[in-house]
Amino acid sequence: METLTFNYKGTKKLPQRAHVGVVGSGDLEVLLEPAEDVSEVVVRTRFDGYGPIWQEIMDRFFAVHDIKAKIEINDFGATPGMVSMRLLQAVEVSYDEQNEK
Amino acid sequence: MMSKMRNSFVELKARERAQTVLDKGTFRELLGPFDRMESPHLAVQDIVPASDDGMIVARGLIGGQSAVVIAMEGAFQGGGIGEVAGAKFAGALELALEDHKKGVPTRPVIILDTGGVRLQEANYGLLAISEIQSAVVALREYVPIVGVIPGKIGCFGGMSMTAGLFSTLIMTREGRLTLNGPEVIEQEAGVLEFDSKDKLLIWNTLGGAQRYNTGLADVLVADDTTEICAAVEAAFAEQANEPRSRKVELFLSRLAAINPVKSLSPTALYELWGKGEKRSAQVMRQEEGVSHKKSRGRSWFAALTGDAVAAGKATSVLCSDVLLGDEEVRILAVVPNEHSRFPRARQGEVGLEEGWTLAKYVRAAMEADADKAKRRPIIAIVDVPSQAYGYKEELLGLHQSCAAAVDAYATARFLGHPVIALVVGNAISGAFLAHGYQANQIIALNDPGVLVHAMSKQSAARVTKRSIAELEAAAKIVPGIAYDIGSYATLGVLYELLENIHADAPTKEDLMIIEKTVLAAIEQARTLPRNLQNRLSSTAAQMARKASIIVRDKLQKQWA
Repeated sequence: METLTFNYKGTKKLPQRAHVGVVGSGDLEVLLEPAEDVSEVVVRTRFDGYGPIWQEIMDRFFAVHDIKAKIEINDFGATPGMVSMRLLQAVEVSYDEQNEK
Repeated sequence: MMSKMRNSFVELKARERAQTVLDKGTFRELLGPFDRMESPHLAVQDIVPASDDGMIVARGLIGGQSAVVIAMEGAFQGGGIGEVAGAKFAGALELALEDHKKGVPTRPVIILDTGGVRLQEANYGLLAISEIQSAVVALREYVPIVGVIPGKIGCFGGMSMTAGLFSTLIMTREGRLTLNGPEVIEQEAGVLEFDSKDKLLIWNTLGGAQRYNTGLADVLVADDTTEICAAVEAAFAEQANEPRSRKVELFLSRLAAINPVKSLSPTALYELWGKGEKRSAQVMRQEEGVSHKKSRGRSWFAALTGDAVAAGKATSVLCSDVLLGDEEVRILAVVPNEHSRFPRARQGEVGLEEGWTLAKYVRAAMEADADKAKRRPIIAIVDVPSQAYGYKEELLGLHQSCAAAVDAYATARFLGHPVIALVVGNAISGAFLAHGYQANQIIALNDPGVLVHAMSKQSAARVTKRSIAELEAAAKIVPGIAYDIGSYATLGVLYELLENIHADAPTKEDLMIIEKTVLAAIEQARTLPRNLQNRLSSTAAQMARKASIIVRDKLQKQWA
C-alpha cells in the first residue's frame, strides 16, 4: 500500500460532498468534500510505485475541473480510466444532490 | 416472445441494496463514509481500508414501519467481518433491541454477502460474530429477523451460522450458504472430498435452490429487486417462523436417516428430506462401548465430573450433571471418538451430530430448570480443533447444526443459566462459536496447547494469499490475528487466564484452582447483565477493542 498526496489551487467551490465507488478489485472509492482554500488529494493505493501516473491523472482532472475540494481515494487496483471516471462521477453527484434540494 | 426486464439485485452494491429494500426516499445511513469509521487493523498490514469498512447500516421504513437494514459489501475484502464491520452489525441489532424494549418495533433486515470472518482481523471478527449471534437470539424474541442471501459471494463461515439463527432466510439461485467454503474443505480434507473447481457441484450442494429444497432456506426468489422486496415485506407480515436452529428433534431425526459412509447426491437428499417437516422413522444408533481416544477435553471432563465411565463413553458429546461446590452444574465437552458415525468428525471436531446434540443437552437443562428460580450453570469444556470439514457436512447443513448449539447456549444464558467456557485446548473458528463463545465468562489456561483462532494457518494462508511467514509477521503487529492464548488475552475478553495448570493431566491442586475460579465466575455471572456487554468493559478491552466501543457509541448517537 502506498499513500500519495497532491495539492492544487482551485477556484470554484463545490456545492455538496459526494461518495462514489467501492474498495473492490479494479475499483476505488472517492470521498469528495468542498474545501475552503486549496484542493488536497490523498490517495491510498494497493499497488506501490505508480505515483507519476496518479500525478498525471490528477493534473488532468484539475485542469478540466477548477474546483476547491478535499478528495480522498481508497484504491484497490483501478485503471487510470476507472479513476478518472469515478472522479467525474463524484463531481456529478456533488452537483446532482444540490439540484435535488 | 416479449418478457419483462428484471432489475438485478445481485448486481447492486451493498449501499444500493439497502436503499432498494427500504421504502423509497426513507434511506438514512448510519456511520457512513464521511464518518470514516474504517478498520484500524488493515493499513498497518498494508491493506487499503474502506471508509465504511464494507458494512452498511441504514435506517428507514419497510412497509411504512421503522426498520434497520444491515448490508455487507462483498466486493470489499470478500465481505469479511472485521472489528469495525462486526461492531456496526452487532451494535445496530443491539439498538434495535433497545427500540423494541421501549415499544418501538423496528424491523431488522440483513443482506448477507460475506466470506465470514475477515482473516486479516481473525479474532476481532470471530468475537464480533459471537456478539452478533447473541444479539440475534435476543432480538428474535421481539421481531422476525429476515436475512437475504442474493450472491455473488454468498454467506460463509461464522456468518452462515448467524444466518442459521434467522427467522426467515430468502435466497436466490446464485446465493450460496455454507459453513466451510469449498477451497477450505479442499485444503483441509483433500480434493477427493470436495473439488473446489467443480462449480456445478458447488451450487448443487450449497446453492439457494438446494437449500430451499431441503428446508435450509425459506424462500427462493429470482434475482429481481421487486421480488426480493416483496419477499422481505411478506416475511414481516406473516406469523414468524420457528427458527430452524430450535428444531433440534426434527434435525436429529433427519440425520438419523443418513448413512454417512454411503455416497449421497444433492438430489437424493432432496428426495429423502424434502423441504417440509418429514421425520425419519429411523433412530440414531445409540453409542455403545468405550472410546480409547485421549484428549484434553476427555481428561478435563473426567477430572471435573469424577465420572470415568461417562468420560470414556464412545460418544463425541459428553454431558454430565455434577455438584461443584454448592452448585449443581451441567458439564459438556466435545471429544474425539473413533466410533462416530460421521468419519469427518472423529477427531474432536464439531460436526453435524455434535452441534445438534449440544443443543439437545443445553435445551434439556433449560426445560428441567424452567420453573426454578435458580437455574443451573452450564460449563463448556473447550478443546475443539475445528468444525468438521466434508462434503456431506455442508450438504446436510453443518452451519445449521452449529447455529443450533449457538442458539441453545445463548438462550440458556438469557434465561439466567450462567454459561462458563473453560478453554483447555484448541478453540478454533466455527467450533468455538458453537461450543463456548456464547458464554458469560471465558476462562482459559495459559498453555502452549491453548489456541484461539478463526482458521488453521494453512487455510488462512491460502485464503488470504499470503505465506505462513507473512501471517506470523502480521500477527506481531495485530495481536487479534495471533494464535496463542497470551495474545488473545490482551483483547480483554477472558474472565481469567490461569497460569501453571497442567493442561494435559490436571492434578488435584489444579482442580481446586479451577473449581474455585469457575464458582467465582458463576457467582459473578449471576449478577451481570445476561448479554455479552461485559466483554467490552474490561480495562484491556477498552484499549484493545476501542473501535468496537466507539462504533457502538457513534451508532447510538445517530440512531434516532
